Amino acid sequence: MSGIIERSVDVAVIGGGPGGLGAAIKAREAGAKNVVLLERSEELGGMLPQCIHNGFGLHYFKEELSGPAYIHRLVKELAKTDVDVMTQTMAIKLEGTRITALTEKTLTRINAKAVILGMGCRERSRGNIRIPGHRPAGVFTAGTAQRLINVEGYIPGKKVVILGSGDIGMIMARRLTLEGAEVVCLVELLPFIGGLIRNEVQCLRDFNIPVYTSHTVSDVIGKNRVEKVVISQIDKELKPIPGTEKEFEADTLLLSVGLIPENELSTMTGVKLEPTGGPQVDDLWQTSVSGIFAGGNVVHVHDLADYVTESSEMAAVNAVKYINGYLPVERKVNVKGGKNIRYVVPNTIVSNQPVSFFMRVTWPLKNATVRIGGLVSKKYAFVRPSEQIRIDVPAEMMKGFREDIIVNCDGEEDVAR
Amino acid sequence: MQKVAGKFDVIVIGAGVAGAAVIRELSKYNLSAAILEKEPDVCFGATKGTHGIVHCGFPVDDAPIKNRTEMKGCLMMEQACADLDVPYQKAGKLLVAFNEEELRALQKALVSLKRNGVPGVELVTDKDRLRVMEPNISDQVIAALHTANTAVVSPWGLVFGLIENAVANGAKLYIDAKVQSITANNESGFLLQTSAGSFAAGYIVNAAGLFAGKVAGLIKDNSFVVSGTRQQRIVMDKKIEGIVRHVVRDLRATGAHGDFVSPTVYGDILLGAKVENVPEVGDLRTTREGLDGWILPRCRRLIPSLPPQMSIKPFSGYIPKAGADYLIKPSPVNSRFINIVLGGSGFSASLAVGEYVVNEILPSVGLQLQKKPGFNPIRKDIPHIHDLTDEERAELIGKDPLYGHIVCRCETVSEGEIVEAIRRGARTRDGVKFRTRSGMGRCQGGFCGPRVLRILSRELGIPVEQVTRKGEGSTEVLYRTKELLKEAKGGSK
Ligand SMILES: Cc1cc2nc3c(=O)[nH]c(=O)nc-3n(C[C@H](O)[C@H](O)[C@H](O)COP(=O)(O)OP(=O)(O)OC[C@H]3O[C@@H](n4cnc5c(N)ncnc54)[C@H](O)[C@@H]3O)c2cc1C
Ligand SMILES: Cc1cc2nc3c(=O)[nH]c(=O)nc-3n(C[C@H](O)[C@H](O)[C@H](O)COP(=O)(O)OP(=O)(O)OC[C@H]3O[C@@H](n4cnc5c(N)ncnc54)[C@H](O)[C@@H]3O)c2cc1C
Repeated sequence: MSGIIERSVDVAVIGGGPGGLGAAIKAREAGAKNVVLLERSEELGGMLPQCIHNGFGLHYFKEELSGPAYIHRLVKELAKTDVDVMTQTMAIKLEGTRITALTEKTLTRINAKAVILGMGCRERSRGNIRIPGHRPAGVFTAGTAQRLINVEGYIPGKKVVILGSGDIGMIMARRLTLEGAEVVCLVELLPFIGGLIRNEVQCLRDFNIPVYTSHTVSDVIGKNRVEKVVISQIDKELKPIPGTEKEFEADTLLLSVGLIPENELSTMTGVKLEPTGGPQVDDLWQTSVSGIFAGGNVVHVHDLADYVTESSEMAAVNAVKYINGYLPVERKVNVKGGKNIRYVVPNTIVSNQPVSFFMRVTWPLKNATVRIGGLVSKKYAFVRPSEQIRIDVPAEMMKGFREDIIVNCDGEEDVAR
Repeated sequence: MQKVAGKFDVIVIGAGVAGAAVIRELSKYNLSAAILEKEPDVCFGATKGTHGIVHCGFPVDDAPIKNRTEMKGCLMMEQACADLDVPYQKAGKLLVAFNEEELRALQKALVSLKRNGVPGVELVTDKDRLRVMEPNISDQVIAALHTANTAVVSPWGLVFGLIENAVANGAKLYIDAKVQSITANNESGFLLQTSAGSFAAGYIVNAAGLFAGKVAGLIKDNSFVVSGTRQQRIVMDKKIEGIVRHVVRDLRATGAHGDFVSPTVYGDILLGAKVENVPEVGDLRTTREGLDGWILPRCRRLIPSLPPQMSIKPFSGYIPKAGADYLIKPSPVNSRFINIVLGGSGFSASLAVGEYVVNEILPSVGLQLQKKPGFNPIRKDIPHIHDLTDEERAELIGKDPLYGHIVCRCETVSEGEIVEAIRRGARTRDGVKFRTRSGMGRCQGGFCGPRVLRILSRELGIPVEQVTRKGEGSTEVLYRTKELLKEAKGGSK
């Protein structure tokens, strides 16, 4: 007797972050009878329980909350429903809308009518960017350090160099300083800060943390534990310039060098990915595999948890429509990023419903204009890669639209290249 | 720490692949044997950095012992891996030629391989066939020498397997046991002082790798010097598993084997190798020139579609050697003291080296060997959830729920496996990693790291701030929260 459990549900949500929680609640609300949510961690909430700073919820709850407080509200909502919440449950295989998951009880196969992907993203590691040098203890991704400090109660070290000016890196610069550690400097490859301006001001400038832009870590010294970190200025090809080395004593190196949507599961069943690592989605948040929907950071990295919850809720509403056989697919229009647009979501438009376009620019510009094909255009004093752009297009404008949509961003140079 | 003491017929110093092969071979006989390792775990020396390619023997003129043990060791490997439950894959190797001159070098090599009786070799000159064998190979490659018996093995898996099996058959393992001094005494052999107490031994096998010269120096044997070369390489995400089927390797200008793209038993792809003589013996740094300036372009010359962004871990290894050939012989100072220093292909040769040392050299200097009737060659690895069928998984979880709790997302490693690894001797994060693969995947421990720290702390009964990556000085987290603030206050008064 193998003890494998087989079960059938209407909707299965993979991931219990702000996206997955929103999706599960919404799917039930929209009429799905059997909803199950799988979360591999011990606790629900995804990244948010470790994000103890504020800045969450302004959009969704109309109130400024900390990450844990934001998630607490969703968990409370979820508890009012009969959604089957399975924590310490890891989805290990996806075949169409059939999930294989492991729990401490047994191996479970879940046959779902629709699946919502909410796996979030993971951080790029030292190996991804091939930082040379010794390989000692003391090199962490910023998010791992954040978990160590805010959830587990440990400080990685007391003299810290941070590579990368992503939001997590900047937030950790502040957090470590407040914990009595010394943030020796923050180093950024590009000539500008990669995260939100809000974080640049509140986490770096307010704490006088030295910032080296157009620099990178060129060597890590220390056989057992980090002892020194060497940084160098970089040339136009982003390569270190010999002779520009600066050596800092440090016991810890934190990396905040980008997030990658976590789609190993999705690709197992043929979900097509974009170059950003997220699945191709249409305006109903359906992926290239029918019945598989996606929301939140598994699609693309959002600036705000609020938008994560919102997009995942839309995925859930459409997943329920799909189950009921009336997904409003009218036609298919492709959406493509053009001038200075690194990516745009969704990748196709199939319905005649209002659409929210999310995008990021490649390079900072001022007095910029973003044009969504011939549909709408919007002006911005500044656009920066760190600040996600969201443009909502009303249903009337989408109706009957048949041409491919190219999104372009024009403007004036803001940062010298 | 508690001091242990013991008296053994044979003591092996160093738990790399050489020492492991020797102690396993010794455990087949009725005698008392122990292996002493200075690190907190076995396989933390040169063997930790090996590629795990089992070469089938590539005879060179000035290395008769290497030629012999490499060829024999390769033939012994498959059975040993089956007995010891160690991942083994007979991938075969394609040594490629980009031009006529290299083709002539391959033709010469073929003759030499055949003369030495290496089985399973052929020269493939049909370009279409070559592309069928290896679809992603560069179309600039005109021919390849195919050696069918070249295999890939889990290097640390073999060491764990050999040592666990030796211990199950009566041998003793002492970790954190650095041999610091040795006194020779004519009748009974040697007295060893170590960081784990003192030991007496009738015979010593010095398999201390890079430190073998130092250990020999303890009995005033200065007959050899250990040097070596550093090799850098890059592990690539298993998402590109299948990009090569064979070990695909080019020739250096000297005719020696060059860079390679290799499958591994775990699915990830290994790229190498920038080979260098470095001023500091044992230097394990990687360099930008080595990784981005050498390995990636050289390997993309072999397999043009190799995607650089799939790199997950660059690292270096250092191959100890003491001359052109392996050094495997009794010390000129004391014949009961056997020195072993391998070199390139040392991993491939290891099993034959163990056999040679135990069955030929030790008896030649007086050790009596008598087969142990109850010797059991079989050892079972930790069950890996990742490798099981769904039915087996369900059954295992039914027996121990911890196997249903996945701790490492990238490699699907459960808490049950980690706890079992600790039970089998892991004391550090690397010890857990090499036994279970947790932290070896694409996120490199970003997710499982804090969780593994917690499990190690719980199972070993030590605070998290004392858990190390790989032994002394490599503590993972240094303080508890608020500790630094207290320190700052304390300091200001
Ligand atoms: C450091 C940091 C600071 C931030 N600061 C802010 C801020 O100030 N304000 C703001 O609004 N937003 C902020 N954000 C953004 C916000 O936290 C994220 O956008 C949000 O957490 C993404 O939600 P998600 O549900 O898509 O993914 P996640 O929160 O990452 O959740 C994904 C969940 O899926 C689970 N999972 C993955 N794979 C599987 C599987 N195979 N089986 C089972 N479960 C699985 C994971 O364990 C995880 O719990 C911040 C993000 C970070 C990282
Ligand atoms: C990068 C690299 C790639 C390689 N690739 C291959 C390959 O693909 N195929 C192949 O066949 N070979 C390969 N080799 C060669 C092979 O790995 C080595 O020859 C072999 O692992 C050496 O094993 P060893 O046991 O002699 O040394 P080690 O593994 O170094 O073992 C020596 C041990 O002795 C211990 N020790 C030292 N001093 C003391 C002391 N005083 N007291 C107690 N213990 C002590 C050390 O801590 C260590 O654990 C490679 C090697 C490297 C480095």
